[in-house]
Amino acid sequence: MIRAQGLTKTYDGKVAVNGIDFTVEPGRVTGFLGPNGAGKSTTMRMILGLDAPTKGMVSVNGHRYASSPAPLREVGALLEAHAVHPGRSARNHLRWLAASNGIPTTRVGEVLELVGLDSVAAQRAGRFSLGMGQRLGIAAALIGDPPVVMLDEPVNGLDPEGVRWVRSLARQLADDGKTVFVSSHLMSEMALMADHLIVIGRGAILADSPIQEFMAEHASAYVRVKAPQSIDVEALLVGRGLDVTRTDDELRVHGLDAPAIGELIGSNGLLLHELTLVRSSLEDAFMELTADSVEYHARTEVAA
Amino acid sequence: MSTLVATAIPTSGSLGRTVKSEWIKLASIRSTWWTALAMVVLGAGFTTIISGVYADDVASGTTGDSAAEFITQGLIFSQISAVVIGALVVTSEYGTGLIRATLAATPSRTRVLAAKAIVLTGFLFAVGTVTAFLGYFGGNAFFRSQGVGISLGDENILRSMFGAGLYMAGLGLLAAAIGLLVRHTAAAISIVLALVFIIGQVVSLIPGTLGEWVTKLMSGNAGPGIVVPVSFGDEMLTPWVGFAVFLGEIALLSLAGLALFKKRDA
Repeated sequence: MIRAQGLTKTYDGKVAVNGIDFTVEPGRVTGFLGPNGAGKSTTMRMILGLDAPTKGMVSVNGHRYASSPAPLREVGALLEAHAVHPGRSARNHLRWLAASNGIPTTRVGEVLELVGLDSVAAQRAGRFSLGMGQRLGIAAALIGDPPVVMLDEPVNGLDPEGVRWVRSLARQLADDGKTVFVSSHLMSEMALMADHLIVIGRGAILADSPIQEFMAEHASAYVRVKAPQSIDVEALLVGRGLDVTRTDDELRVHGLDAPAIGELIGSNGLLLHELTLVRSSLEDAFMELTADSVEYHARTEVAA
Repeated sequence: MSTLVATAIPTSGSLGRTVKSEWIKLASIRSTWWTALAMVVLGAGFTTIISGVYADDVASGTTGDSAAEFITQGLIFSQISAVVIGALVVTSEYGTGLIRATLAATPSRTRVLAAKAIVLTGFLFAVGTVTAFLGYFGGNAFFRSQGVGISLGDENILRSMFGAGLYMAGLGLLAAAIGLLVRHTAAAISIVLALVFIIGQVVSLIPGTLGEWVTKLMSGNAGPGIVVPVSFGDEMLTPWVGFAVFLGEIALLSLAGLALFKKRDA
């Protein structure tokens, strides 16, 4: 279990993580979703004690990471691909990690096999592709067979087969009762991998809910109705037991399809200006949620 | 799925485990061994060659120099290797991002540095001492053939052999400390080489007693006194006093490096 309380990090006065609170529970995959620069990696580095929080604290299994006598046995982390010396072989990279935490060398062979690198274990890591480097990073995260596994953007650089592999690995770890915390900037990836979602933008938590709930809330379809007598239309639809929300000059209607809504309005002698079925994907929901918190926007409007 | 189930999780941190880990790191990089080989070949090789060239003169007494003055000469070139290995132990981790993996595995930054220092000292002492002995045997073969050979029992010779190991270890630690301050390989190596080879000479141009003392106290002048069987001259500190000054300078830089290392985000 990972627990952050009022966790804050500022760099030269610029706030990267702004007093966030969250808990990552065992037995499920928790997705940590946010655009680049939202504070995901900073948060993960603070969990590992690599960066010191400016304020607040974060604990792993009830204590600070740095106070663990053998941290790799408690938390395994993939922080960035190629955080390895290019001149060192995959096996030797895992050997020094194992030695530092009193992990028997036999475990090195096990994790190499687990990630499918056993045939290239003697090769220097500098020759690895991005995907192989990512697998080595995951092997390093698993070397201590830790109850908490943290993966920062694990599918970056992986081919489709590798992406599937990471997904099933995360699932398997969670099913084994481990705490699995996976960051990504891709909503679609999280939709496939996570049970629970923590959305972060500009250093603040924007959502923290089970993925089903998040999808129901943010990715539903509705019918957009624009009508001159919108008050009457709203009263009519609500009177029929439909779920109607008003935003500006439009009504969003849930629970009935567009033709049926149109017929209903017409048969009551009311005018209709627009009737559109709007499907918002999870990706849209995420974009909408984080629109204000993306650090660098691509500007599309042109000065007139 | 794991053999770890049967292995007890350590209940306390251990310097021994970190040292073992750092040793695996140092020994599993090819450049470590190439650079060490360069130290041996350059140091012992140049000592042998220089001895071969001057054996005649020593035998004939034309220069008035003794064989002992030449028997550690080649080690001047070995200094470069010690600096490179020392700097890389720290800076290669910053260059590759490996430092984060290191600190995730061993959160105690003091212990990480202590382990690096122990491994570096042991390795460079061994290679430096071997280099000195090989140079001695190679060079002395020429002096022997001219009848002016020296022996390991002669004054200061053994001290010089092991002193070479100590000095190389010290240079490595100095480079590692600078590496910790600048976190950049090329910068660290350049600074230490400039300090040892150039600045140490340039300051002797400062006039008067001030210049004398500054020169004496410079790392590259104070440190190697224990390496040479015959002192560079009266203006230098005596061998062990010089080495103590050298160690003091390393300690100061290391403490500054440690303080920064503990304060900085990785």
